[in-house]
Amino acid sequence: MKRWMAWLALLGWLGLPGGPGSALAEEAAPPLKPVTLSFDQKTLKQGAHVFAEVCMGCHSLRYVTWKHLMDYPEIGMTREEVDEMRGDAPLTAPIKTALSEEDAKASYGIVPPDLTLMARAREGGGAYIYSLLLGFEHDPKGKVPDGNYNVYFPGHRIAMADPLGWLDHDADEEADIKAQARAVASFLAFVGEPHQLERKALGKKVLIFLVVLTLLFWLLKREVWKDVH
Amino acid sequence: MLERMLNSRLAQWLDDRTHVVQYIRFHLIDYPTPKNLNYWYAFGSIALVVLIIQVLSGVFLAMDYKPSALPTGNGFSMAFDSIERIMREVNDGWLIRYMHAVGASAFFFVIYLHMARGMYYGSYKKPREFLWIMGVLILVIMQATVFFGYLLPWGQMSFWGATVITNIFGAIPGIGDWLLQLVRGGYGVGDVTLNRFFALHFLFPFLLFAVVFWHVMALHVVHSNNPEGIEPGEKGIIPFHPYYTVKDLFGIGVFLIVYSWFVFFDPTGHGLIIETNNFNPADPLKTPPDITPVWYLTPWYEILRSVPNKLLGIVGMAFAYVCLFLMPWLDRSPVRSARYRPVYRAMLFVFFASIGVLGYCGHHEVTPELLLIGRIASVVYFAFFALLPFVHKFEKTRPVPEEI
Ligand code: HEC
Ligand code: HEM
Repeated sequence: MKRWMAWLALLGWLGLPGGPGSALAEEAAPPLKPVTLSFDQKTLKQGAHVFAEVCMGCHSLRYVTWKHLMDYPEIGMTREEVDEMRGDAPLTAPIKTALSEEDAKASYGIVPPDLTLMARAREGGGAYIYSLLLGFEHDPKGKVPDGNYNVYFPGHRIAMADPLGWLDHDADEEADIKAQARAVASFLAFVGEPHQLERKALGKKVLIFLVVLTLLFWLLKREVWKDVH
Repeated sequence: MLERMLNSRLAQWLDDRTHVVQYIRFHLIDYPTPKNLNYWYAFGSIALVVLIIQVLSGVFLAMDYKPSALPTGNGFSMAFDSIERIMREVNDGWLIRYMHAVGASAFFFVIYLHMARGMYYGSYKKPREFLWIMGVLILVIMQATVFFGYLLPWGQMSFWGATVITNIFGAIPGIGDWLLQLVRGGYGVGDVTLNRFFALHFLFPFLLFAVVFWHVMALHVVHSNNPEGIEPGEKGIIPFHPYYTVKDLFGIGVFLIVYSWFVFFDPTGHGLIIETNNFNPADPLKTPPDITPVWYLTPWYEILRSVPNKLLGIVGMAFAYVCLFLMPWLDRSPVRSARYRPVYRAMLFVFFASIGVLGYCGHHEVTPELLLIGRIASVVYFAFFALLPFVHKFEKTRPVPEEI
């Protein structure tokens, strides 16, 4: 009898609602658009230009200075190119939007997030940014104003209005917008972790060294152990 | 060459005054070890290597890290900024930081295998109870250490993880509120919390060193068990050096290859080692949709979470550790190694699976299905320990060999 009650209690517990941390699952976003990012100078320079001409209207890169665009060899801009982009901003100052936080709140209801780490801070990284820029659509329910409905954004309503003009683009603009999105996504994926290529290059050397060393340890072990039975 | 060094006049001079040479000979050279230890026995030495990696990389990180939640604009803080400075501006700072972050995960990976080995070969049994208890204590201290450490970057998961976990203390009746404020240093997780967590994160590894020292001292009194789980006897003994120094070196080499692969090619472990959401600065006004700890804490977190009552959840989680501590006394079989214990061996695999399932569930947002699966896994976890005292009564053990 007692045992029977214990089993019942156990079963009851299995059906109870959860403890801390229980949450409702969110609606799923469509799979990200396929894109191959690249970290060659041409793409990164183009991305930097798109950033400075479009995104910088609202977003900053708090950890990237104008000088970094010259100093990171992967981007490798010349002093002239940087001077042209930065206007009278100091060379060693971070790349910063002219939009003040107050104005941003007044216009968009929110301060646009800093984009330095955006590619690292979202599932999908650069592919997410690429998809987001090309994810503006007309709201099928007609509730969200045009330019603020994005299929990749959680909840679909985004305060950023279609920066690259993807919605209602002409057929002959499509390739260009896609190239801009890819370039700026590559650029942001790069500045999210500026030492990533150096990391992988060093990694190859370290691994080769360790494999050789470990092989030697193995030979040593075999030699030392050969007469233990 | 080693002999030459140990016989040198300097060594002799020191030995006459502090016995260092005798200690080295006793603990690292002549120390008797069973000759049949397999590579599972390398994880102890590997753990020691990881501990040293963590302390060294940690000290260098601390030189450039600023434990301050002071806002620096657009949601960022001094702490978050200082981490990014390490990642971007400090020479090889990215390497040090990844070594430390990957090292934390590697540490748990190694320790879990080390413990599984101990369970499989019955190494917790008499006379190694104290060795085992020091081991479980190490695990608890390690978990506290990473918990403090994870707050330091002051990202979204840092902040919300610490908030959720410290909230648990608040559920303890009577002293809950007082304890909560003591841990946080205020009503919410904030700048004060960050400061004290940094201090504790710096302190705890030294506690860890102390307990590890005791763990190894205990080992050197009772000596290693072995895969057969029997006394090795005269003929089964070989000196630690050179046999196990070279065998462990090889094990350490293999470990370093895997570890470096992650450091250099997948330092965030696809969000398992450094969570993606932790690249967003902490925002006390924006609760993330799912707050889950890093993988090595999720089994324990899932046990907590699978109980609807917070207080009972804490009791359940605490009990999960108590069971581990009690293991040497729960198991009464005279046979040590699972090699000769078919029932225990099967139970052990189910137990390991339950931890895996708990870990998986604890890492994902709660859904009704996952909740149910997590609860079943919790039952399996405790059922293992509940059955343990009775196994020897009906288990038909296989004949144990005479010698190794
Ligand atoms: C007119 C101002 C404006 C411009 C120009 C702009 N953005 Fe935004 N952006 C915003 C605002 C506002 C948000 C916040 C959206 C929200 O949280 O609803 C945002 C958010 C984002 C996000 C984060 C989405 C998320 O998952 O939280 C990304 C990525 C982004 N912008 C990329 C870009 C890129 C790349 C460009 C340049 C091609 C750009 N933005 C140009 C205003 C702008
Ligand atoms: C920092 C963490 C730890 C370090 C550095 C460490 C170190 C060591 C070393 C060097 C050995 C001898 C070599 C070996 O058997 O692998 C050992 C043995 C052992 N450790 Fe640990 N250990 C740690 C954590 C733990 C934990 C968490 C447990 C269990 C809860 C544990 C339980 C044991 C047991 C039972 C043995 C004896 C195994 C046998 O003889 O069969 N250790 N440890």
